[in-house]
Amino acid sequence: MRRFHVDTLVAIFLLVFCGVFLAATFSIRETSYASLGAEVWPRVILVFLTVLSLAYFVQSLRREPVERQTPEPRGLKQWFLHHLNAFWCFLWFGLFLLTLPYLGMLVGGMLFVYVTLTSLGRRDLHGHALHAAIAVISVGAMWAIFTYGLKVFLPTGSLFY
Amino acid sequence: MTLGVTAGLIAGAIPGFTVAMAVVLTLPFTFGMTATQGLSTMIGVLVGGLSGGLMAGMLTGIPGTPSSVATTFDGFPMARKGRPGLALGIGVWSSFFGGITGAVVLVTLAPQLARVGLEFGPWDYFALVMFALTITSSLSGKALLKGIIAGTLGLLVAAIGEDEVNGVARFTFGNDAIRQGFAFLPVLVGLFAFSQLLSDVQDRVKAGKPLMPKGTRAVRVEHRRAIAEVLSRWVVVLRSSFIGVFTGILPGAGSSVSNILAYDQAKKASKNPDEFGTGIADGIVAPESSNNATEGGALIMVMALGIPGDIITAVMLGALLIHDVVPSPSFISEEPVLAYSIFIAFFFAHFIMVTMQAFCLRIFVLITRIPMYILASVILIYCAIGVFALHNVGFDLWTLFLFGILGYVLRNLGFPLAPMILGVVLGDIAELNLNRAWSINNDLTLFITRPWSAFFLTLAAFSTVFPLYQRDRGVKAWTQFYFPIFAFAIAVPVVFMGGVVRPVLALCLVGLGVYLLWRRAQVAPRTDTKS
Repeated sequence: MRRFHVDTLVAIFLLVFCGVFLAATFSIRETSYASLGAEVWPRVILVFLTVLSLAYFVQSLRREPVERQTPEPRGLKQWFLHHLNAFWCFLWFGLFLLTLPYLGMLVGGMLFVYVTLTSLGRRDLHGHALHAAIAVISVGAMWAIFTYGLKVFLPTGSLFY
Repeated sequence: MTLGVTAGLIAGAIPGFTVAMAVVLTLPFTFGMTATQGLSTMIGVLVGGLSGGLMAGMLTGIPGTPSSVATTFDGFPMARKGRPGLALGIGVWSSFFGGITGAVVLVTLAPQLARVGLEFGPWDYFALVMFALTITSSLSGKALLKGIIAGTLGLLVAAIGEDEVNGVARFTFGNDAIRQGFAFLPVLVGLFAFSQLLSDVQDRVKAGKPLMPKGTRAVRVEHRRAIAEVLSRWVVVLRSSFIGVFTGILPGAGSSVSNILAYDQAKKASKNPDEFGTGIADGIVAPESSNNATEGGALIMVMALGIPGDIITAVMLGALLIHDVVPSPSFISEEPVLAYSIFIAFFFAHFIMVTMQAFCLRIFVLITRIPMYILASVILIYCAIGVFALHNVGFDLWTLFLFGILGYVLRNLGFPLAPMILGVVLGDIAELNLNRAWSINNDLTLFITRPWSAFFLTLAAFSTVFPLYQRDRGVKAWTQFYFPIFAFAIAVPVVFMGGVVRPVLALCLVGLGVYLLWRRAQVAPRTDTKS
């Protein structure tokens, strides 16, 4: 059981992934005019990836996992705490994207920066004020540069029409 | 370009921010510019970033970018001995002379290599792409298999959406938004910048602290003395610059490799190798000359063959594609204004870099007082704005998010991201050339019978085995034959390339192989015969 580590799970995931995508290649429309069908290249890649994943699977069973960039935390709680900051960023970024059509880039962006800063940094009164100021200034400045300087249309948000 | 150089200098100086990240984040600003302006700005950032890394390394001992790791070995001790101004000056002027040497080689070699590139057929291009991917993966250190998997995943990502040749949708799973495929910029920013930022704030305590110790302060750069010191070491400058250029030409090996290689060579060539690491000028001149010259080499490959060698030149290629310019061997002759603008920008950026260094040193000191979590949060939203500005569609933001998560997961699982990014960039080129090759002749043996294709496939095969060679060198007997067999194998396609020079070169390679075998037979075997 000791051998059944993360690399093995990743290899199994990759094999399933290859299976799903290989099956999907059979749904690719065939054309009469193509000399090389649109499904050929993806199939070549997927067959190669399957072979590599199998090799990875065997390697993961045969030896200890290779050195990682970050030390692997032990236990679910430690693992969660280790990645907590990243989870905050993902959560707030996902919410920012979901609310973008309503809040727009300016307000949504400011809220995202403020909430992310507060989640990652200090949460006292001074921290809240500092984060709010950073959010307003940084997003406001970038919004102005893109809207007026680079003439890029950024979403206004349906709430502000 | 001045703004680009300034931004690059500051970004390069901040530990955790690589040059590639600075170039990636600059791309959205170039949408509104012409191709020439956009590319010049990005080259400014690139040159600034390569030179900016030395500031942090010398003043605090923490290299700003991987390209300036070796600079710290002697730069920091020299600064601690009370000569930070001279250390910075030597670093700045070595970067300048190294960059100028790289630019000269770029101007000279790129048109010549482009002429060679005109000999390439689709089979050869396909093989070249395979070589670029395998060598990038093989340079991933111990994680060779993970590197190749990452590169293959990149090819698969590029295959999602409408096929460029037949216009047939692939892997859309019923979602119309995916029909167009994933745009290059959101994938790149997500995989690389987004995941890098999240990794930077992973440690809660470290993320809340300022980037540098409070005592860090700007110093006055001793330019005159530094120029004299650098010019008196012109051999080191030239040797390191050439190491840099040729490392840059090799796909996958960037300035993070060349600066250490150049430092190592300078140490080996020195009469006083023991003094390295104590704060001597040679130890600063070598890495700083090489890292700036490396990008000259990498640009040669992009401009002459349209094949990026690292993430930075992959972004440059992406920028050219956004401006509807497709680099190929005919790029320099068909787009002379743009091509020569890139040459001039690369030259000129080095002059701006020297001018702006002192000014940026002050800004750098101010920025290092900001905690990482603040910088990361602000840059995350900037990534979103920049990516949205590409096509003005929300789907690109979801792509950024998806690939941000993927990049973060892959990073934590120990998968190198550079092969994946190159796979995304090179996927379309590989498929297009495979299609062309098949349309002309469906004989697959052409991939091994055409000299250039066989040449690149041989290089690809040997570069795949190279990590095993490195692992087993001096331990297993087969490693003794690696280089002789490589010389014989590579001589075969070279001899069939025709002309006079190439067959002569092939004979030299055979001679080298025979010599290596003879030398092996002369010296006592160092291997453990049991293993």
